[in-house]
Amino acid sequence: SPYISVQNRNAIIVSHRQKGNPLLKHIRNVRWTFADVLCDYLLGPNSCALYLSLRYHLLHPDYLYHRIRELQKNFKLRVVLCHVDVEDVIKPLQEVTRTALLHDCTLLCAWSLEECGRYLETIKVYENKPADIIQGQTDTDYLSRLQHSLTAVRHVNKTDVVTLGSTFGSLSHIMDASMEDLARCPGIGERKVRRLYETFHEPFKRSA
Amino acid sequence: MVQFHEHIISDLLEDSNGGLVVISSGLALHKLVSSLLLLHSPSQGTLLILSATPSQRSSIISTLESFENPNPNLLPSEITSELSAQYRHSLYTSGSIFFITSRILIVDLLNSKVPTSNIAGLIILNAHSLSETCTEAFIVRIFRSLNRTGYVRAFSDKPQAMVSGFSKAERIMKCLFVRRLHLWPRFQVYVSQDLERDPPIVVDIRVSQSNLMKGIQKAIVEVMDACLKEMRKTNKVDIEDLTVENGLFKSFDEIVRRQLDPIWHTLGKKTKQLVSDLKTLRKLLDYLVRYDAVTYLKYLDTLRVSEGIRSVWIFADSSHKIFECAKKRVYQLVRSDGVKLIPEVKKAMTKKRKLKDGNTEKEAKVDSSGMSSSSRVVIEEILEEAPKWKVLREVLEEIEEERQKQAMSSGGDQTAEISEADESIVLVACKDERSCMQLEDSVMKGPQQVIREEWEKYLRSKAELHGIRTRNRKKLKEPKGFGILNGVVPAMSREDSESVSINTLEHDALMAAASEISNTSEGNDVVTDNPQSTGIGGRGKGRGKRSKKAAADVQTSRSTNSRNRDEMKSGISVSKTEGGETYPKEADGCHKDIQKSSCVHRAVLWKHNKGLNPTDTNVKPIPVVHFYAIDSEQHILDIMKPSVVIVYHPDMAFVREIEVYKAENPSKKLKVYFLFYEDSTEVQKFEASIRRENGAFESLIRQKSLMMIPVDQDGRCLVLTTSSEPQASTLQNSITRKAGGRKEVEKEMQVIVDMREFMSSLPNVLHQKGMHIIPVVLEVGDYVLSPLICVERKSIQDLFQSFASGRLYHQVETMMRYYRIPVLLIEFSQDKSFSFQSGSEIGDDVSLTSIISKLSLLVMHFPRLRLVWSRSLHATAEIFASLKANQDEPDEKKAVRVGVPSNEGIVEDDVRAENYNTTAVEFLRRLPGVTDSNYRSLMDGCNSLAELALLSVEKLAELMGGQRAAQTLRDFLDAKYPTLS
Repeated sequence: SPYISVQNRNAIIVSHRQKGNPLLKHIRNVRWTFADVLCDYLLGPNSCALYLSLRYHLLHPDYLYHRIRELQKNFKLRVVLCHVDVEDVIKPLQEVTRTALLHDCTLLCAWSLEECGRYLETIKVYENKPADIIQGQTDTDYLSRLQHSLTAVRHVNKTDVVTLGSTFGSLSHIMDASMEDLARCPGIGERKVRRLYETFHEPFKRSA
Repeated sequence: MVQFHEHIISDLLEDSNGGLVVISSGLALHKLVSSLLLLHSPSQGTLLILSATPSQRSSIISTLESFENPNPNLLPSEITSELSAQYRHSLYTSGSIFFITSRILIVDLLNSKVPTSNIAGLIILNAHSLSETCTEAFIVRIFRSLNRTGYVRAFSDKPQAMVSGFSKAERIMKCLFVRRLHLWPRFQVYVSQDLERDPPIVVDIRVSQSNLMKGIQKAIVEVMDACLKEMRKTNKVDIEDLTVENGLFKSFDEIVRRQLDPIWHTLGKKTKQLVSDLKTLRKLLDYLVRYDAVTYLKYLDTLRVSEGIRSVWIFADSSHKIFECAKKRVYQLVRSDGVKLIPEVKKAMTKKRKLKDGNTEKEAKVDSSGMSSSSRVVIEEILEEAPKWKVLREVLEEIEEERQKQAMSSGGDQTAEISEADESIVLVACKDERSCMQLEDSVMKGPQQVIREEWEKYLRSKAELHGIRTRNRKKLKEPKGFGILNGVVPAMSREDSESVSINTLEHDALMAAASEISNTSEGNDVVTDNPQSTGIGGRGKGRGKRSKKAAADVQTSRSTNSRNRDEMKSGISVSKTEGGETYPKEADGCHKDIQKSSCVHRAVLWKHNKGLNPTDTNVKPIPVVHFYAIDSEQHILDIMKPSVVIVYHPDMAFVREIEVYKAENPSKKLKVYFLFYEDSTEVQKFEASIRRENGAFESLIRQKSLMMIPVDQDGRCLVLTTSSEPQASTLQNSITRKAGGRKEVEKEMQVIVDMREFMSSLPNVLHQKGMHIIPVVLEVGDYVLSPLICVERKSIQDLFQSFASGRLYHQVETMMRYYRIPVLLIEFSQDKSFSFQSGSEIGDDVSLTSIISKLSLLVMHFPRLRLVWSRSLHATAEIFASLKANQDEPDEKKAVRVGVPSNEGIVEDDVRAENYNTTAVEFLRRLPGVTDSNYRSLMDGCNSLAELALLSVEKLAELMGGQRAAQTLRDFLDAKYPTLS
């Protein structure tokens, strides 16, 4: 197993096999350095990536399988970074998907070398980042939250949220509004009125 | 029944396989279908009606009820998920007629709960919304494979929607396995003969718009044109489609989206914004003729706030004119000595003039700096009425006058008088309920009163705003995003100080007017019975006062609105008994009829009686008027039986409805007034809608002549399978279900599918691939492919949304808990580009908002999660098949128990998903304080969101299992909306 020096801990370790891959010039936000590693890109102590161009896969359909087999099991995250560089993707992508899935690899698709590079950078940069931005901690200010909840009703848009808010004064008043009062709001047509009213007044559970 | 309906039905019945009928909109499709249902006899089997909208359902039922001796067996009822599986089964064999949703029917078909041999046939409404992969096509395919003799009859009255893609009609016919296309345009000879034999008397009144309205219309069209030109520059949309005329229609969005969707991800922000701006502009044109001047201004205000700086159009020169004119229809600024203050109005003046204006402004500023500005600059109300209001009133008066003349001439002839009274209903048809209410007010209280009320309401909301603003005085210095009232001008630097000062003046003046109004109204609220003279005095306060009775009716405060509505109603009944006129009694009887038939929603019909306006003693009398909202989609002509119809807002379908009504009642006198704004987009749109429909029919006629529908030797449609699968594979479900002992021909693949997924097309496509679909309610995941593999499916749009809401994170988390191989399927749409974003959008840095970052974080936190990237529905089906290749089949019983809280028992055959008000649940889950762990108990603890809004913190804490969450929720519900700031 490769020895990783302290100063290389914050860099992506690139396998010598990747020499000449134009992808490398798109890794700009993180340092990278060549070393002797089994994977193509060593992204951290527990994560690594293999690079695969779909065009190459068409010529060497067994390549991916052999590369995956070489990898030791001690990586938690094993990414197959697939560069979608052919027009007719369905069949090759299906093969790659199957191979990756059945051999415990996470498949990421990118449509340009730039995008490939960005995935590698991101995984490195976010190495120790918590997941809160994808856990739904949306904007906490009142207006965004109000908008977030009201737009759960189909076709209600931002302008409608402002109209409803300024007409009724608070969410509980909006929820309590009569059809008629809703209909008086400019921009809120029959269908939206009905949808809003049903959302608020129809029971959660429609039991007999 | 009109004759051409008979023709349509006899044509349709010629082919026992069924057919597709496309008729012009407004030609009473509900009656056509009802007549067809009359021919049904239970001995033929059960008849199922699919994809009817609620309003179609109710109008079909009420039409059937209106026939003499309605056969109770023929009145369709609904099959819903609330009925038990056994009961549903007994209904399927009953021979009656049912409305049913596609989702229940497909699930029952897949579970072999439908005795297909007992089904006489299917009727499918809204055929224009079908596609090859939709659930209805899925249903028909299974139905056809099991029952070769049943019919499929499909209907559409939206011909434009039938031509919105490449040979759409043909594709729909193929997926329904019908080979006959019946086209019945309005210009078809039978139709036009029927409708033009005895046409109603038509009076076409062109009302000219006010100059300011014209100005606004012109400006909007200009901006629209500019946006369209920009759009052309992008070279992304067919130039022929980019016309202002097309832009007037809702379908324009579809045209544009259809062309842009495949490349939507690759479009720049600007192009996307243009698409949404065009939509906004179309609305503005529409509202110009529908809303009163004050409401229009208010809407523009709102738009400024919500659209903000993102919009391209808001800063265009002409846009400025829109705002300016809209304001001028409502008020202008004058100095208290009477000198007009016209700051930004005359932008197009020479420089010299501008300079002079600037001086005035400065002067005004200096003047006002000493004392309270409101004493120097005041708001002069203009409050322009909608020109049609007055005309409507005149038309009504004229109608009444004519009637009285007629009554006089017929002299003492009692019978004539009664029959005349019978027919005395005048129907005013306008677009929406809002217009109904306002027109009623305008007819009853006079236009000035109505617009004044709107103005007071407008000012009052400003006053509330002011209240908030004075509390944080500091912020007042920069009136940012304060709607149209401030920051109107995309000001050039030189004029900055001037316009700011003028805006401040304007703001202060408005505030002064507002506080005056709110003072006045507070006084009114307390002493409503205090008689006040109808003052003609100065502006503002004096005019705001009203006579005693009017004041009682007229309060505009929103909290008392509904109460007032009731007051008005009781007012009607009182004046009826007092007035002792002949009309109201008759009208009352009629009203009862309406209520009895229950098809007309109470809220859409507003009755008005001439005795109502006590102040206008010298005003000419008008007849009983009913107002009808076209958007409510209730066919009320047959119930109301009006003798005069005033079409206040033009609508093609409604005009046709009138024609059909007249054709069905040839002996009845019918006079129709059209009230159109001259040279308006309203008229343009009306005429264009007719042209477009004709064009659609012509195209359909061409398509029909070229159609290739393959049939077998019996003349039935062939089941077209594009895949190499033998036809038998589509039968698999039923065969294996029924005959457990029969030998298996080949290894069949099973997929467990969550019930909610039947909204999408994937189950259909999987079935086409020959997989066995088991519909159940899954708590975790959407598809279970094997005991190990569970799939959460996300379309691209879903993916972005559920990343934002955090839903995806939690879904993956639970999948990880229960399955060895949790899979996130990212499914692209066939006709959209296969990539997340264009190269140029990737940017230089790693950014939190990028989809790349979100996906990376997801896979880093769930390294065991497997991603599947699919090009299309069909590719997904291939991938599923390949993933299942070496796996065991999934276990249905286990799959449904996964993730279900243990205290919640599983009811076999229960279609639970159907039982939820899904929007309300989604809404609930988006509220602050509500979490995955407490939303269920909240739903148990109160019936609906409206009830939730009333719960106390204590009660909420009890339900949510925590004081803090409860307080968060309660605070959010009660938080005061920051008015227009």
